[in-house]
Amino acid sequence: MRSPFDPSLVQPIDCKATVRRLWDYLDAELDPVRAEEVARHLRGCAGCREHFAFANQFLAALHESWPVVAGSAAGDANVDDAESLRARIVARLEAEGVRVA
Amino acid sequence: MRALACLPDVARFARSLTRNAMAADDLVQETYLRAYRSHNTFREGLDMRRWLFSICHHAWLRIAERERRVVLTDEGDDAELETMAAVMGHVAAQRSGLDRFITSIDLAPAIETAINALSPALQGVVVLVDVQGLGYEEAAEVLEIPVGTVRSRLFRARRLLQEQLFEYARDAGVSISPSITNRHPRTTSA
Repeated sequence: MRSPFDPSLVQPIDCKATVRRLWDYLDAELDPVRAEEVARHLRGCAGCREHFAFANQFLAALHESWPVVAGSAAGDANVDDAESLRARIVARLEAEGVRVA
Repeated sequence: MRALACLPDVARFARSLTRNAMAADDLVQETYLRAYRSHNTFREGLDMRRWLFSICHHAWLRIAERERRVVLTDEGDDAELETMAAVMGHVAAQRSGLDRFITSIDLAPAIETAINALSPALQGVVVLVDVQGLGYEEAAEVLEIPVGTVRSRLFRARRLLQEQLFEYARDAGVSISPSITNRHPRTTSA
């Protein structure tokens, strides 16, 4: 459960504390106060900004490359494949005695 | 038949895990068979897609364990240490100029190699969070592991993937074409 954002709770943090929160921040997993602490530090620290920008680019590359690596660059399998798979699943389920409406 | 409505999502998830069309089809069929055999474990109010993802992931781990005889428990590293290690890796890459290459070469071949080097347990959490876009708690529900384990596995996987990419960049040596864009879907700014 995220706590409500209270700006008075935001404290200055150093580089070490900032980079420790790198992945949690980029994944939007921090509570609002801790996220704001990171954001404020990044606004004033070019070194940390570089780390975060690089990590962000790395995650984007991973997200974009995985479908290509998985052999489904188009994202979805085509409609015929999907229908065929559905038919095979239904056939296997019915062979197992599951009644599929 | 609500489960079959999730078929496109389950098929994509299976494809991301197996990275092979035939293996993915088999995994999807196995997932639905298991789902219908254990439909009494589905409680009303549960997210059907996440329930199917969980069954799919368990089935995939069992197949991977059988085929590759892998050890599935490879945690133990602290999530924060993994994060710091990833940053230190970037610092080293900055010093050698490798970070600039990373942002300018086609990374798909390197990522494929790097993914294959990960254990199934690490691959699973990367697929759920970095490919499917689930949050840590959602991934923990699917994998039936604590959120802390999701974080440590995820951060470890990312650190290992990053190291592999630096190796690849070191071998490639020159920039070819821009392939990375700053479009990570779950963040707004850095």
